[in-house]
Amino acid sequence: MAADRFPSPFDIETPPGAEGWESMYDWYHLFGSERRELDEGRFWFADRLHHPDVLHPYDEIQCECWWQALGAFNTRIFAMPPAFGVDQRIVNGRLYVTPVAAPAEDVAARAEEFGKRAGHYYERWDAIYTEWKEKVTAKLEEIRALRFEPLPDLEPESTVFDHTGHSAGFRMIRDFDRLVLTMYETYQYHFELLNIGYAAYLTFFAMCRQAFPDISDQSISRMVGGLRVELYRPDDELKRLAKEAQRLGLVERLSGTEDAATLFAALRQDAAGAEWVADWERTADPWFLINTDPGHPGGYHTYPTWADQPDIPLASVREYLRRLTDGESIDRPTDEVLAERDRITAGYRELLADDDRATFDDTVALARQVFAFIEEHVLYIEHWMWATFWAKSHELSRALAAMGEIDEPEDMFFLRRYEVAEAIYDCVAAWSVGSRPRGADHLRPLIARRREIYTALRAWEPPPALGPPPTQIDEPFTVMLWGITTASVSEWLRADGDDGTLRGTAGSPGVVEGPVRVVTHPSELPDVQPGDVLVCPATSPAWAPVFARTAATVSDVGGIMSHTAIVCREYGMPAVVGTGNAVATLRTGQRVRVDGDTGVVTVL
Amino acid sequence: MSAGWIVGLADAAAADVATVGGKGAGLHRLVALGARVPAGFVVTTDAFRAALDTVAAQVEAPLQALGPDAPIDAVERAAAQARARLLRTASAGPVLEEVRAAYDDLAGGIARVAVRSSAVGEDAAGASFAGEHDTFLEIRGRDAVADAVCRCWASLYTARAVSYREHAGAGPAGAMAVVVQEMVPARAAGVFMTLNPANGDRSTVVCEAVWGLGEPLVSGAVTPDRFVVDKVSGEVVRREIADKPRQLVRGEMPGTAEVDVSAERRGRPCLDDAELAELLDLARRVERDAGVPQDGEFAVAEPGGPARVHLLQTRPETVWSTRAPRAATNGSGARTALSAVLATLTRGAAATSTTPEGTPDHGG
Repeated sequence: MAADRFPSPFDIETPPGAEGWESMYDWYHLFGSERRELDEGRFWFADRLHHPDVLHPYDEIQCECWWQALGAFNTRIFAMPPAFGVDQRIVNGRLYVTPVAAPAEDVAARAEEFGKRAGHYYERWDAIYTEWKEKVTAKLEEIRALRFEPLPDLEPESTVFDHTGHSAGFRMIRDFDRLVLTMYETYQYHFELLNIGYAAYLTFFAMCRQAFPDISDQSISRMVGGLRVELYRPDDELKRLAKEAQRLGLVERLSGTEDAATLFAALRQDAAGAEWVADWERTADPWFLINTDPGHPGGYHTYPTWADQPDIPLASVREYLRRLTDGESIDRPTDEVLAERDRITAGYRELLADDDRATFDDTVALARQVFAFIEEHVLYIEHWMWATFWAKSHELSRALAAMGEIDEPEDMFFLRRYEVAEAIYDCVAAWSVGSRPRGADHLRPLIARRREIYTALRAWEPPPALGPPPTQIDEPFTVMLWGITTASVSEWLRADGDDGTLRGTAGSPGVVEGPVRVVTHPSELPDVQPGDVLVCPATSPAWAPVFARTAATVSDVGGIMSHTAIVCREYGMPAVVGTGNAVATLRTGQRVRVDGDTGVVTVL
Repeated sequence: MSAGWIVGLADAAAADVATVGGKGAGLHRLVALGARVPAGFVVTTDAFRAALDTVAAQVEAPLQALGPDAPIDAVERAAAQARARLLRTASAGPVLEEVRAAYDDLAGGIARVAVRSSAVGEDAAGASFAGEHDTFLEIRGRDAVADAVCRCWASLYTARAVSYREHAGAGPAGAMAVVVQEMVPARAAGVFMTLNPANGDRSTVVCEAVWGLGEPLVSGAVTPDRFVVDKVSGEVVRREIADKPRQLVRGEMPGTAEVDVSAERRGRPCLDDAELAELLDLARRVERDAGVPQDGEFAVAEPGGPARVHLLQTRPETVWSTRAPRAATNGSGARTALSAVLATLTRGAAATSTTPEGTPDHGG
């Protein structure tokens, strides 16, 4: 039965055992009766692209970073003509979002401001982006330099003889604030360029579709993509390590199945092996600082990086080695992709009306400039910054556990960031005085209860959306980034359309059949067999190497600009993205046909 | 033997529209481009005039006698008289002897051929004369071919052709060339356009095809498969596969036969990707050579080689090619990337395609 609206957020029931979940999140992040009139009339969709799973209280920082920064840059800084920010609410531990439109009567005035402001950036894009990398790298170095250690019984002599003038306890308080604030600051930079970049990219799409109504999304993105962006560097490093292993005569020794620790210990026994392991270790910082979350990299504290879990990149190196041994080329055909990009760009350009060609040239040039940023910012912020932020958070949690403020490090992530600041103060004050913190005794029941709630919330299947859907979804960022369209929303409303097919967005062309492999956590990646159809909430660039093995990819979330779609196009593999519920619907081992031309997945 | 009555499609003389008619000249151009075109020759307008030389006045007399607003049945009667006179008087004589000889030279005189009219003024941009003159398929034997040539000539004098000329202001019958070409034993056949007639998108080649010979498609008797292929990327961006229960094929006897399509084939696409790619390549070359969007007919021979798409004719597309290409900036006047960005953002919906103004048809 097709309904005409999704459940009201005010009618969502708390799953059994999760009573009191609201205490895990900041009050301003929740639906509340004071805003009921406003919020009940809005259309909210589950942001499974960035936050596919239940949020730990501490990880709410992730949502807050983009909630504020995206909003400020759209609404207040660049005056994005049609769009304000994206509002957020948490329900049963899941994030729901709704794009806020600018009032129609303001659009013209905003457009004038936007022209001045964004125009300034477009004219100087490359120079600004160079500065941007310096700013962000400096922030990264700042948080890398932070140290969270159990507080010493006696301060080192340097505190005295260098006239430092403050205590290790003060520094712990200060550095946690710095950690959080620096992450916030970086998110300002994230949105300094991102949405005006997307606006330029979208414009190129709109222009091509206007002139060529039949053109495919893939053709348009091929005119822009194929650049030598740094985002591919981690994968390129794995390929380089595979070639190095071949050169050093290590093929045989790497062809086993032992884990990375065992293998590296064995390799260190001789010169060639030791050279390769040393190379690996040098490469790991920063190139293996790659988050492995499905979907938005760095979204949760729980996923390891390649550096944390070298078995993930090692599996890829082994796969590359196998292909090298079979005489295959493992290099990305960048030159061919670029040549093809130029060929098709010239081809479409030739078909335009004469007086459109100059605008086309200007727009494709800008789209290519911004595209490098759109791709690369993921490496700088989603990978490096977040990986470092989570690593430092783990370091802090270990220090707090060592000092008895909490029972075990993971406990800290069941506290909201404000509660963590309180716990640090409690801990520092007791340390300073030589007294006893209230800490663990006070927090123990709270954390124990939240662990139960967290488990209960994970069992809840969130509806894809809440509230009344708009008649038309044409907000450009929603369509492009989340892959949410008028059609996909009516598909959600149809709910039990159980005809053995799933519909999504055609992310990368081609049609293949194969067995399903459902992967929801990167630890399952080694199970992927050659020819499998990878079915996942979303992919991350960290998963790129697995694409060498898969026949096709199907994701729950994402539009044509999602990483799944981009990477699959790079690898020439069909992809259907934004299906909504492939992970919940499909089972490992089922045979499916994936049609990347039409966006349909059929169970065979 | 008189020079200029019979001209091979590859001969330089076949470039002259006044000699070989629109269809003949178009085929010559395809041969010159290196496209695969069934072997054949043209019975020229000189041959037509020579054959009718002494009898033309007599043939046209019944039509000349008609008043300007003659009723349709009077036109019918006069046209029938003219055709009968033409067939009676022109079927003998040296011109048709040369047609028989030319047929003998084509595949040893056993080929099945298509005999098609190629009137001067036909198939030009702006006036398609589509289907106004006769075509005879699967003709075999020297006398049958000579007879078909005569019937093509006679089709200048059907009531509908007379009315059409009247309507188009094309004047009296003039001269007609006739193209005689080997038949492609088509596994599938169809038509293509080097733009999408539904929306004027010049980045696509739209192709419609059926099993067997293409005539039922051209005449609109069957629903074809429809493919939209991107001219630049080569992608097949849309496939609409029709149920195709019947097909026209080569008959046991000379001529064609309509037969059932097997149950397992009728719902299958009648062109595969390799054939579409070959057609796309041909269509692009033809369009580039002509300098304006084209439409045309093609046939796909039975499997036997990688290259098997044959072009049967092409001509300028008559509707969209007279208009400017679609505007990329949608009348926003955007001249720079920034103004284009502003136009996109203030238009609200990004990238929705617009409704086409008018939907020109294929024109067979």
